[in-house]
Amino acid sequence: MASKYQLVNLQGNHACALGAVAAGCRFFAGYPITPSSEIAERMALELPRIGGVFIQMEDEIASMGAVLGASMGGLKSMTATSGPGFSLKQEHLGYGAGAEIPCVIANVMRGGPSTGMPTRPSQGDIMQSRWGTHGDHATIVLAPASVKEVFDETRRAFALSEKFRVPVIVLYDEVIGHLVETIELPKPEECEQVERKWADSDKKTFKPYAETDDLVPPMARPGDGYRVHTTGLTHAEDGFPTQDPETVVRVTQRILGKLEKHADEIASYEEVDCKDADTVIVAIGISARAANQAIRQARKKGGKVGLFRPITLWPFPEKPFKQAVQKAKTVIVPEMNAGQLALEIERLCQSEQIVERLNRIDGEALEPGEILQKIGEAQ
Amino acid sequence: MNETEDISKNGEDTHLVSEKSARDFNIRDYLRTSLFPHFLCPGCGHGIALRALLWAIYELDIDKNNLVIVSGIGCSGRTGAYIDANTFHTTHGRPLAFATGLALARPDLKVIVITGDGDCLAIGGNHLIHASRRNLDITCMMLNNEVYGMTGGQASPTTSETRYTTTSPSGSIEPVFDACRLAEAAGAGFVGRDVTLQMPRLKNLLRDAIQYRGFSFVEVISDCTEIFGRKNDLGESPEMILSQKSAMRPSSYGNVVDEPFRPNTLKTGILARNDRPEYGATYRAHAETIQAKGK
Amino acid sequence: MNKQEKPNSITNVLIVGVGGQGVIMVSKVLARLCQRHGFDVKQSEVHGMAKRGGVVFSHVRFGEKIWSPTVSEGNADVLLALEWAEALRWLHYLKPKTGTFIADTQHIVPPFACLKRHRGAEQRYAQETPEEIVSQVAKGYALDATGIATELGNFRVSNTVLLGTLSTALAFDEADWRDTLAELVPPKTIDTNLEAFQKGRDWVEEVKKTPKKEKNTKKPNKIAPYQQQVKIQNDIQQDLIPVITAAWCKGCDICVKMCPERCLKLNTKEVVELVEPERCTGCRICEWLCPDFAIDVVKVPTPLNEEASKSKPASLPETV
Ligand code: SF4
Ligand code: SF4
Repeated sequence: MASKYQLVNLQGNHACALGAVAAGCRFFAGYPITPSSEIAERMALELPRIGGVFIQMEDEIASMGAVLGASMGGLKSMTATSGPGFSLKQEHLGYGAGAEIPCVIANVMRGGPSTGMPTRPSQGDIMQSRWGTHGDHATIVLAPASVKEVFDETRRAFALSEKFRVPVIVLYDEVIGHLVETIELPKPEECEQVERKWADSDKKTFKPYAETDDLVPPMARPGDGYRVHTTGLTHAEDGFPTQDPETVVRVTQRILGKLEKHADEIASYEEVDCKDADTVIVAIGISARAANQAIRQARKKGGKVGLFRPITLWPFPEKPFKQAVQKAKTVIVPEMNAGQLALEIERLCQSEQIVERLNRIDGEALEPGEILQKIGEAQ
Repeated sequence: MNETEDISKNGEDTHLVSEKSARDFNIRDYLRTSLFPHFLCPGCGHGIALRALLWAIYELDIDKNNLVIVSGIGCSGRTGAYIDANTFHTTHGRPLAFATGLALARPDLKVIVITGDGDCLAIGGNHLIHASRRNLDITCMMLNNEVYGMTGGQASPTTSETRYTTTSPSGSIEPVFDACRLAEAAGAGFVGRDVTLQMPRLKNLLRDAIQYRGFSFVEVISDCTEIFGRKNDLGESPEMILSQKSAMRPSSYGNVVDEPFRPNTLKTGILARNDRPEYGATYRAHAETIQAKGK
Repeated sequence: MNKQEKPNSITNVLIVGVGGQGVIMVSKVLARLCQRHGFDVKQSEVHGMAKRGGVVFSHVRFGEKIWSPTVSEGNADVLLALEWAEALRWLHYLKPKTGTFIADTQHIVPPFACLKRHRGAEQRYAQETPEEIVSQVAKGYALDATGIATELGNFRVSNTVLLGTLSTALAFDEADWRDTLAELVPPKTIDTNLEAFQKGRDWVEEVKKTPKKEKNTKKPNKIAPYQQQVKIQNDIQQDLIPVITAAWCKGCDICVKMCPERCLKLNTKEVVELVEPERCTGCRICEWLCPDFAIDVVKVPTPLNEEASKSKPASLPETV
């Protein structure tokens, strides 16, 4: 069996599926959609072999519902989708955030809005991944930029999701999804698996949403004798719906606060040559790879250029970012949309740095040359 | 009544109730009594349906710890919270989707879905037909009161023609769904219907449904007295529940009294039953063959 | 009153009650009336749970130009409450020095208040009396509008009675009030409504005439705890008997009408009572059809069958 996992040439989407399996994912419900279908296809192959469950549901909403149902039952669960499907998943993403049910959603970004350009890459879901579902909610978004990173970040997605009882989105563009790279995969038995905290206190007095030190309450599994109520309605510590203003504020603040409290642990980023940089590029996914090459070329010509790449996209790693742009006068934000990440960067930079946008919305990936040119203009 | 009479023959309506069961069944063992009185309006039929369901669960001796109630949104969805079991109050129309994931992930649990006519047939119609098609071991109890009560009385897919609701102010003109025929056509292994007035018989039907291994669908004809009843001048709660009598056509009547003679009546009892393979078992057997080949 | 007379002043009226009382109707009449007089009017309301006896409120603001749609705390010129507990809940919205307080002394226990009605629990309905409240506000009228309406033959027009009272607090012509009211109520009920309106005005006249300390109406009926005593005569040889958990009964009448022996009856508080225990056959129909789980048919706990009385320990209310 082990030799099976010694794949060297791997597609981004397959890496996502294998990362999930390595993290202990044993339930996948999905619905076909370009360009993420390979994840479901690979899961359909892998899961029955290891005693997991794969099911193709009747629609995107149902697949997300089934994922939550399975996760409530105790299995690590995930689904995968793209743009239009991601829009449909928002309803249950909100349920997952509100009822604090761990789950992982891979979203392979394609051109939008609506059906858009199914086979063309885009980075148009940056804001939707954070604010897609209604109301104030906690969610984590990870943005890998290589096949190996897709594998690793999917594993990390499960770890974070289990640990903080929050839906985690693995967000990457179609280019990364269909990119084939040669990588070394760890054997599954060497991969650490994180399990959520299960309730083990007194069954009579157990409160499913009681505040704990780490702000993450232990979860009760059906069959263990706790018999709790889970609802998407705003609920008090005992799990039952409430509209009492004080309680609502208290429980909502705990849910939002749990990510703030662990912000440093959740944050992940890559920083290239930012120390002395007067120009810093901020990008994710394939745009970051183009930027990486551009800064190397710029450095050769003597330009002081650096790259800041948030791997944890949301919550945005603010502190490390501010550190990275301390010396910078200009921040360039290349992205494959009409300007979404730039909004967050503008907010963070205020008037301290000039924020330059570089956008591409034609369904093509950004090229190093374009970024290099922008660097030239900026300096 | 004696205790040996407690057998409901498959496919037949029966009122037979064991005196022992009636005496020993203490509904409070199955209720979260601290939440009572419940939030339903006076005379709402959902409470009666809930009693039938809990009684059936008692008779089948299902461990509350292994019982999961998944419910949707609406008056029907809120009733789940009163059951002392693992209760999941999910999103509008999607309890079957949640239940599918849960039943596949945890075949050791008993999964029962409580849903309503709007929840199950309108926003959740897609999930109903696919759950029926898969035949996964879930029992779905649909409380049909012809109206969206929680939101203030709008028309649902089962609102009879000419009935007044807030979204059909001059009488509904849309044709209705026959939920049982829908579920049966989509492949549900067990389909039944009964009225709240016949509570013991409904209990027997639900018991058969829960026992069935596969997807079982039970439509309960319930009353919305405060909103639908008032708007349509159907009388007070007792009149409404009594009127169910003339609206049904028990399948035990056989073919003698059939539809042409009693127009606009609903057939009650077990309406379809076929023992086709349960999906969860099929999946697991399939996975085992794959695993065996892989070794 | 028209806009030339009072160019810059804004009047804030807050109308509150519970679902089904006609809060929205009152605010509609007022808003229409203001519109007729050329005022800018904003009316905003919540009636989400209206059909279930939940809280309903409506803010009506009118004046030369209105921007904000809602009245802020301590800013209502008039607080009109169709239900007593609601009146108390919104009291802090009233302008402390000049506000006019108008309330029905009627008590309605909404279904959600039931949550606090554990077995044996005291009724948690507000204890403040109309006298106390009226003495606290600048101008206060607490009247039994529902009682007045019932006398007129239709308790539903209690809102119109209060509208009549309201009309004395705002400077619009009486005739205009009447016209607007007639325009908005269903044609068949115009007469009753106008009569109710007049009663509301008359009531104020009465109060103004009588000396100050007597201006309040009688105390609202105190509501006894919802726990009801079930009396079982031990000398009657009987096996099964319905035991009623009064706190759970919503008075739907199903058990009363369905009992083949007519053993049960709703009392004046709309809670079911066992009136003819000796006729009960123990058929359990009442237990089975009660949507609120308020009836358990159990063995009578007499020394004869002590064993049986132990079989349902949790279910027996302490009253047995
Ligand atoms: S048990 Fe039967 S006879 Fe006795 S009160 Fe109930 S319905 Fe009437
Ligand atoms: S059926 Fe139940 S709720 Fe209705 S009146 Fe009788 S005891 Fe009360």
